[in-house]
Amino acid sequence: MTAAGIHRPPGAGHARPASRRALATLRLAWLYLVSRRALAAVALLVALGALLWAALHGNWSVAGGAAARQLIPLVIETGAAAVIAVTTFGPFGDTERATGRWLPWLRLGTAVLLTAAAAGALAAGAAGGHLPGGSLALLRNLAGMTGTGLLASAALGGAFGWTGPMAYWLITEGALAGAWTTPWIWPARPARDLGGALCAYGVFAAGIVAVTLLGARDSGRRPAPE
Amino acid sequence: MTTATSAPVRHQPQRMPRAVPLTAARLLRIELRRNPMPWILPLIALLFWFDSYRPSTTQPPIWALRTFWNMGQGHTIIDFGPFVAGLAAWVGSRDGRRGIADLVTATARPRWAAQLATWAATAIWAVGAYLVFVAVMFGVYAHQGVQGSPPWWWVAVGAVAVTAFSAAGFAVGALFPSRFAAPLAAFGGFLAMVMSSQTGFSHTSGWALILPTNSNGNYQPLSGVFYPYLPDLPIARVMFLAGIAVAALGLAGLPAGAGGPGLRRAAAVVMLAGVAAAGTAVGLAGTARLGPHGMVIPALHDAASDRPIRYTPVCGQSAGVPVCLNPAYRQFLPDVTAALRPVLGEVAGLPGGPARAAQSAGAYSSGEGGAGAPMTISGRPPVLRMPLGSLNLPDVFGGTTAQFAGQLRLLSVHAFAGAGAGPGTPAQQAVQAVLLQGAGVPFAAQPGMLSSVGLPSWAQATMHEQATEQGKNHTPAPASGPVYAAARRLAALRPAARHAWLAAYLGALRSGQLSLAQLP
Repeated sequence: MTAAGIHRPPGAGHARPASRRALATLRLAWLYLVSRRALAAVALLVALGALLWAALHGNWSVAGGAAARQLIPLVIETGAAAVIAVTTFGPFGDTERATGRWLPWLRLGTAVLLTAAAAGALAAGAAGGHLPGGSLALLRNLAGMTGTGLLASAALGGAFGWTGPMAYWLITEGALAGAWTTPWIWPARPARDLGGALCAYGVFAAGIVAVTLLGARDSGRRPAPE
Repeated sequence: MTTATSAPVRHQPQRMPRAVPLTAARLLRIELRRNPMPWILPLIALLFWFDSYRPSTTQPPIWALRTFWNMGQGHTIIDFGPFVAGLAAWVGSRDGRRGIADLVTATARPRWAAQLATWAATAIWAVGAYLVFVAVMFGVYAHQGVQGSPPWWWVAVGAVAVTAFSAAGFAVGALFPSRFAAPLAAFGGFLAMVMSSQTGFSHTSGWALILPTNSNGNYQPLSGVFYPYLPDLPIARVMFLAGIAVAALGLAGLPAGAGGPGLRRAAAVVMLAGVAAAGTAVGLAGTARLGPHGMVIPALHDAASDRPIRYTPVCGQSAGVPVCLNPAYRQFLPDVTAALRPVLGEVAGLPGGPARAAQSAGAYSSGEGGAGAPMTISGRPPVLRMPLGSLNLPDVFGGTTAQFAGQLRLLSVHAFAGAGAGPGTPAQQAVQAVLLQGAGVPFAAQPGMLSSVGLPSWAQATMHEQATEQGKNHTPAPASGPVYAAARRLAALRPAARHAWLAAYLGALRSGQLSLAQLP
């Protein structure tokens, strides 16, 4: 007996019910989120939101002018961006890349969902007191820093994605002390500044595109250092 | 019954005492080769250049000023520490992340000992890189001719701080092995440094002096130029940071899988020793008091640190009067002679007019910022003694030549009027205003100058005293009121008549016996 005459796999003739397909899609997304420790990430983002609330409520601030008052909220936003960046780290490498066409969509969805969760958690935390620049600046700064994290993940590996936002924070701290006004240091610009927003959201978009198309460096054919 | 007297002695096989160190050395070598720290060093080098070196180049070539930002306020630690903590957490979480903790627990060497080798490799890379980066930066400074002496004790504090960050990060990774260990350790490092800066800026005494970002009372320009940097506070900081490192490493040895009961007990003792060292250091910092040359911790102080540094002054001439500075301030000599010229010309020939002007060391003072010692005129022949360290030196923290000249003139005429360390009597203030105007600072500009940064507290007191009379307390008031009215009367005299009046009444003015009404 040969299989030469078989053109369709058994059972393929019966269309799968839409509900089962949706269930399978959801299960795939859920498994992907679990493999990226997305739930732990959300818990950490909530904790960072609470920390922001405590910082604003307790009036923690570095002595100095308006720029110095931004430092502690910026550190917390940096922490949130770093948490999002390391969720791109995947332990499966080539095995995962070979399984199907959904991987880029899963990467995109996870990054966007976690960024939204971070924005929500930090915006809730911002209710604890006066946040310099308000929620608009918070969203812009978080988006930009998340972009640096995603770009670092694509370049260095998901495990080292946190270095991007941390390095950016350090540069921003020096730039704020030096009263720089370049839009690339978006925390130094007013909340409604177009240049700062374009740069921040541009970096976010670049990070999202890089992670969606390439994935983190250690999850595929480009092994990360360790 | 038999005896064992004739039994041959059984020789125990000779131990090989070198085997354990050799194995440890081999393990360390393997860990050094496999460590991911070198991968992140280019990024740290870039940040180090941007955040530590680049801002310092705008400061004048005096070690305490050039390194104020990167060593005094601990920016080299901020650049290194959090990244090292993150990487150390990643390394520390290795066994847990890969699910081989049970496997390595069953190996010949206790897990804690193996972890210590892994941490040591991380710390060696991190501290080695820190020392190399700082050495390169200091080498560049030396090549640029920076004057004074380098702050070696602060380098030691930085190296131990990096060690502490690596140990704390490693403990986080070992105890909570997860992909989030690294970013959280780095985030914790940044938050700790930011909070440390917040506390450091606002606390001039007490336990907060232990924070390596706190430059209050221990990093002013007379250190390394007139006196050695006092090592008291850095020693306490080294003890504090080393205690944190030891405690963190001990903590990593506490879990059940770290080793046998004996080893875990040893880890607990190590941890407690670290906590005790850190606590002792905090207690010592709490006893610190501000001496004339910096923070003194009585239990750690060595009197040899109080000996002044010998130097041969560099001198110039200003209105025929020799003006001498410490060679570290050589580049400011033209500014100083130019600033003093109108003042010295104005008081020439008057009793008590300085025959010489010389830079003096000054003294640390928490209440006075760096302006702990007043400018004085004393001795025979009279010498104008000028502590310059706290003034708005040109190009230091945004200072300009004009501001520096104005402050130097104000302090000189204040000393000449005999007002000492306080605002002086109204008559002394009026004469000071007249002499200042003669030196090129118009009455209208004087209240603003009194409020400028870097002056002793009497300047602010003078401004407030004059402003209070008009009901204004917090902003520089216009040059009006009884003091300026009297000053304008005196200034309206012809120069010869004013000179004669000053010659006649300077003694009474300096002793505080002259009232405003007695001014012509």
